[in-house]
Amino acid sequence: MYVCLCKGVTDKQIQRAVDQGARTMRDLRQEFGVGSQCGKCTCCARDVLHDAIHARKEVVHIHVPSPQGQLDVDIAYS
Amino acid sequence: MRGNSTVLAALNKVLTRKLTAINQYFLHARMFKNWGFNELNERIYKASIKEMKHADEVIERILLLDGLPNLQELGKLYIGEEPKEMLRLDDKLQSEDIRYIRDAISTCEAEKDFVSRHMLAEILEQQEEHQDWLDTQCSLIDTIGIENYLQRQL
Ligand code: FES
Ligand SMILES: [Fe+2]
Repeated sequence: MYVCLCKGVTDKQIQRAVDQGARTMRDLRQEFGVGSQCGKCTCCARDVLHDAIHARKEVVHIHVPSPQGQLDVDIAYS
Repeated sequence: MRGNSTVLAALNKVLTRKLTAINQYFLHARMFKNWGFNELNERIYKASIKEMKHADEVIERILLLDGLPNLQELGKLYIGEEPKEMLRLDDKLQSEDIRYIRDAISTCEAEKDFVSRHMLAEILEQQEEHQDWLDTQCSLIDTIGIENYLQRQL
């Protein structure tokens, strides 16, 4: 599926990026430009990103810097 | 005629869903066409046109109620990469649309706008027809396999 249609980025590309170390929305934006045009894909991209990270079964800490949850979710390893 | 703001909001919500569906179906139809699946192209192209006709009805109704139809807002498109995924995503979109239309129908009923309610009920009927078709395609693919299914669509 195309997660980001503006930049033509698929869920599989995001999963592959996670395998290669991508962990945040910022990583996806830097690598593919996800969410940098119309922004409609950010929610969906975040879901795909988090699913891919969780599928790795590693321990993660999620920091939500804004109470509205609007900002990047930073994920670090313990 | 002055429309009630709850009804107008509900109609605009339906309009956004329609505008989104027009685009998703249109792109999927033409992707099928590009791959030579003409039956699927035609069917889904028609679904897109039907969504446009529904959008038109909703726009005219909102104007009649002295509201402003929001043609700016567009939802996220769910575009698949291959036929099976495309049909599955259309099926998902369509069932969510139906939920929104049902909600809007209850709003109109609660607000006693029976003309809008009637219009939405007619739209809902056509939506369910396309949903049935999509459901059938998805289960057909599960039964006979995607290769056999696509062979029939050439
Ligand atoms: S769909 Fe990703 S920026 Fe538009
Ligand atoms: Fe629809």
